[in-house]
Amino acid sequence: MQADEIKDLIIKGDAAGTARGVEEMLAAGLAVDDIIQGILVSAMNVVGERFRDGQIFVPEMLIAARAMKAGLKVLEPLILQAGRKYLGKVVIGTVKGDLHDIGKNLLGTMLQGAGWDVVDLGVDVAPEKFVEAVKEHKPTAIGLSALLTTTMGSMRTVLGLLEQEGLRSQVKVLVGGAPVSERYAAEIGADGYAPDAGTAVHVFAQYAS
Amino acid sequence: MNSKERLIRRLAGKAVDRAPNCNLIMAFAPLYIGKPQSQFYLDYEVLVESNLRVAKDFDLDILGAISDPFREVFDFGGKVEFPEDDIPLCSDNLLKSYDDLPKLQIFDPYRSTRMRDRIKGIELYKREAGDEYPIMGWVEAPFAEAVDLRGMNEIMLDVYDSPDQVHQLLEICLEAEIRSAVAQIKAGADLIGMGDAAASLLGPDLFGVFAQPYEQRLVAAVHEAGALARLHICGNTTAILNLMKLSGADIIDVDWKVDFKLACETYRGYAAACGNFDPVAVVQQGTPALIREAVWKCLDAGDANTLIMAGCEIPLSTPHENLKAIAEALRDYPRY
Repeated sequence: MQADEIKDLIIKGDAAGTARGVEEMLAAGLAVDDIIQGILVSAMNVVGERFRDGQIFVPEMLIAARAMKAGLKVLEPLILQAGRKYLGKVVIGTVKGDLHDIGKNLLGTMLQGAGWDVVDLGVDVAPEKFVEAVKEHKPTAIGLSALLTTTMGSMRTVLGLLEQEGLRSQVKVLVGGAPVSERYAAEIGADGYAPDAGTAVHVFAQYAS
Repeated sequence: MNSKERLIRRLAGKAVDRAPNCNLIMAFAPLYIGKPQSQFYLDYEVLVESNLRVAKDFDLDILGAISDPFREVFDFGGKVEFPEDDIPLCSDNLLKSYDDLPKLQIFDPYRSTRMRDRIKGIELYKREAGDEYPIMGWVEAPFAEAVDLRGMNEIMLDVYDSPDQVHQLLEICLEAEIRSAVAQIKAGADLIGMGDAAASLLGPDLFGVFAQPYEQRLVAAVHEAGALARLHICGNTTAILNLMKLSGADIIDVDWKVDFKLACETYRGYAAACGNFDPVAVVQQGTPALIREAVWKCLDAGDANTLIMAGCEIPLSTPHENLKAIAEALRDYPRY
């Protein structure tokens, strides 16, 4: 199987095919990092672009992310053996009172693929928990997601608490979700905003450097 | 001209004193009258009292029984939490496996808990203000209800992995929503709103298979029972605008990310477009001047039957002067 064929399988959401393809690549002697960057991440970049262009929608994003995960799973033992070099650590979560997690989950998968060590705090995460996670994990960045106008105010609280605890300068904060805008992000003092998971991966990449 | 006359005339494209103010009010209402959020979701008297106050004080033209997406889930047997002063949460999916589908019993709205509470709310609206205001009942559209029962992530994968089971679930949801809608119409609802927010995450191909046909059947049942239908899908629905009109709904809500002029053109001859300024950037965070500009822009883009609302729910912490500014902008518009 050629690299482009595997990329197509990921884009189509064929998890079993992707896993087989990655096994073949390994058998052919391709390096783990080359498979991740050259095939898995590259395919998800195409998926992210197609999503932003309105060519595909959330279900197609999800099955593609699942296929990419299936590919990563094949590589997992080798990654553990070699000790993967991460770009850094990212803490993500959906804010308090909000149970929407599609965007956050997609982001987690895409960040993992892109080489981040991801700590997912889940949904309905209290501001104090984000602060505790920053203390515990010392991440490069945190990503806050909210899908409701009633819950997005919690993002401001997280930023306030980080400031209060003297942690704000140690961590980048990116916000996203349907009601959130660039203007809102700036208003509450976040470092960044992303309208979708694909864009968020690019923004986090800037924080890595 | 009262609100009922205003809406009916506007929908027919007839002259009105101002376009109807059709904003969706939920969490804002209990806050406005100083009641805890939980009472709004659990006690129809609080829902009615708070919405009547908001409608009167801010010149809204529809009295809605919309509150949260979890009335049906609760009555199906799902676990819903009601924090004292926050919106309801449903953190545990009732339908963990399609093997459990046969156990999913369609509830009788009259013997249920939360749908019966909504029905009582509509009866109270009818007694208090039924001559003056149109009363809007509410149900989840079948796809949204399927998501509420099964989980968002799960359904989004199921449409590829288990389409037949998704259709079986949708049939159950459709039947529950038809029963709930008809009961509300019998109680006095003039129109039934149906929320299908999750469907905006589907592309046109899947929307046409899993959402639109079920919306269409629900709308047909609402019409047969003698009420109007309002379809509400928040999110960017640009890709499915054409399919949404096939629902047959009389009013189609348009969220702020959609080009309102395009929506009005798409629905011309089919339905009244209702929209569509940004609830956060314009209504919650904007100024009265920005709001006036946004409302007038929507009216300029629309037709003689176009209705006005923020793209989705009026946010909880909207300044009162901003909500008043919507009514003032509608009143002062010079080109009706």
